[in-house]
Amino acid sequence: MVLAGSARAAVITGCGVVSPLGSTLDAFWDGLIAGRCAFAPIRRFPADDLDPATVAEVAGYDEDADRAGAFALTAAEQALEGAGIRIEQLDPARVGVALGTTLGGMAIFETWDAAVAAGSPTPPGLERVPYYSPAARLADVLGARGPVMTPQLACASGTAAAMLAADWVRAGRADVVLAGGTDLLCRFVVAGFNCLHATADVARPFDRDRRGLVLGEGAAVMVVEEATHAARRGARVRARVLGTGAAADATHMTAPDREGSGVVRAVLAALADAGLDPAAVDFVSAHGTGTPFNDAMEARALERLFGDRAVPVNSIKGAIGHTLGAAGAFEAVMCSAVLGDGTVPPIVGLEHPDPACEALDLVRGESRRHDVRVALSTSSGFAGANAALVLGRA
Amino acid sequence: MTEIAITGAAAVVVGELAESPEAVRVRAARAERVTQLVLAAAGRALADAGLMMTDGAPRPRLGVVLGTAFGCFLTNAAYQRRLAADGAKLASPRLFAATVSNAAAGEVAIGFRLGGPAVTVTAGGAAGLLAIAHAADLVATGRADAMVAGGMDASDEALERWLADGGMAMGEAPPRDGAGILVLEPLQGARRRGVPLRGRVLGHAAGFTPERDVEAAAVRAAIVSSLEDAGVQPADLSLVIVRDVPRTAERTRRALQAVFDGTLPRVQYPSAAYGETFAAAGPLALVAALADAGVSAPFLVLDVCPSGHVGALVAAAAAGRA
Repeated sequence: MVLAGSARAAVITGCGVVSPLGSTLDAFWDGLIAGRCAFAPIRRFPADDLDPATVAEVAGYDEDADRAGAFALTAAEQALEGAGIRIEQLDPARVGVALGTTLGGMAIFETWDAAVAAGSPTPPGLERVPYYSPAARLADVLGARGPVMTPQLACASGTAAAMLAADWVRAGRADVVLAGGTDLLCRFVVAGFNCLHATADVARPFDRDRRGLVLGEGAAVMVVEEATHAARRGARVRARVLGTGAAADATHMTAPDREGSGVVRAVLAALADAGLDPAAVDFVSAHGTGTPFNDAMEARALERLFGDRAVPVNSIKGAIGHTLGAAGAFEAVMCSAVLGDGTVPPIVGLEHPDPACEALDLVRGESRRHDVRVALSTSSGFAGANAALVLGRA
Repeated sequence: MTEIAITGAAAVVVGELAESPEAVRVRAARAERVTQLVLAAAGRALADAGLMMTDGAPRPRLGVVLGTAFGCFLTNAAYQRRLAADGAKLASPRLFAATVSNAAAGEVAIGFRLGGPAVTVTAGGAAGLLAIAHAADLVATGRADAMVAGGMDASDEALERWLADGGMAMGEAPPRDGAGILVLEPLQGARRRGVPLRGRVLGHAAGFTPERDVEAAAVRAAIVSSLEDAGVQPADLSLVIVRDVPRTAERTRRALQAVFDGTLPRVQYPSAAYGETFAAAGPLALVAALADAGVSAPFLVLDVCPSGHVGALVAAAAAGRA
């Protein structure tokens, strides 16, 4: 194979979001910085038997049955506009899509299942059900004709999408990749997390009183571009992708490794890829779901990585909820803004830090001014999936 | 430039685990069908490569990349049916926890002690080939010492019904279960370990062809890129393996005609041998071609899925094999 080698680098030149805090980059960032919380009772579908029924919904998009695809399309269009890219002016075979999701067109699937059970006519749009569909919709509508893939790493899918994108760009398999994640709320997923006793009415990442996560929805998409390609266009670089890593826990299908060994391996792989050691990391965007096990596992992993060194840590899941396949992408967008702005958003919902997490410098209360040159974002999901991203200042 | 060796290969169309290690059999008994297929195939491929291990600490430099068209669809359907029929209070936590397409990769990592990258991708039926391609890149860039990689899918009445309702049935071949799994590692590493080579991955490319791409430009571009990546000319190929689906047949034909310009080698359709195995189709055909003594020169596996996803992978069976 003729891999392009180390001469190529991946940078982020555009970001777009459809989020529970608003559907522009400014609304998302301003909401995070202000410490706003988007949690409210479920509005969009029957929730009488759902308990808890608190979620973070996106306003609008009611007319499109493929809600996750619609979110992603808007976010991708924002990202392309922000990057100043028109795909039709590029070689379309050099433009790819890497878009994570855990639900795809699940709401359409619910409708189909109900129709089959009732013996009534089945709904249109069944081709939008599969997990690969939102990425395919983006490629189809926006004109990307290069690699198109949907990473399936459960709740680490959004981070894995950025990983795939950066890997393709650096290996010379694409010059521009729309990378991100999208997911929607529906009964399927809310009932599922409820029956696992993983949900709560408020998410309190790293708090001693945390009881569970709050589900959210939305999409975040980045333009990941080859550095020289971006420079030739005179594009503004928002962040550099310095390294990517993934690792399996290889311990349990639903419970995280208590020692955080999978996260540690993923982070060390990403840092090795970046040619950095843990001392270079200035800020960590944690997975931080607010479930008892996840946060304890992560605290342990970060302690193993950073020892006594106080590295500011946040989680945005107390603000926008756990957006599943989009979560890692939202967090990468947030990290890009932190690198550019020098402000770290606080962990919404954190009031009494868990003594078991005392090794962490948790950003709480107000947002914090902090000079960040290197940001680390980690994600973990069911089946022991972990992915890590190391981003650098432009 | 790192050359990629294939040191393990297994094709499985029935989740038969009789030859699997006991630790894996026990886990597989609780898993969904697609995971059983992959556990059986991965076990055989790892044994083939001399990398079988079922206990001890996870091996951080060994990982897995799997591709699937429909992943956990069967589990999703079972979970959803119960949720809709009995309400949220009776939703099944056991089923919901398995409604992730990376369950098979997770089980493979646990069962065979793989602590490196565990990645699952979907890209329609092309996902299996693209998984092998991504694993090859992870090995080539030094991110892993060896990768288990391949494609998997399983079908049942719910999946067939949904495909039919959506007008998405692939073609004439009946849906079947399948998993085609390889073990990839650097050629030098394989030589150092002294394991027999099954073949090599020479190059690959991916693309996307929507229905309106009637000229098949994206298919052509993917074929050309994969050959360039492999450093081979169209005339060097001994065999082309393609997905046989009416909805993409014309685009496939046009692209092949444009690239090969009347010199098209023998063409094979995996569905003729295995039925429609979706993302397992390309990897299953690849495994078969590696074992085919008649295929000594490089061959192309091309998948143009009705979803629009295109995968093109150039491989060769081990030189000098009888």
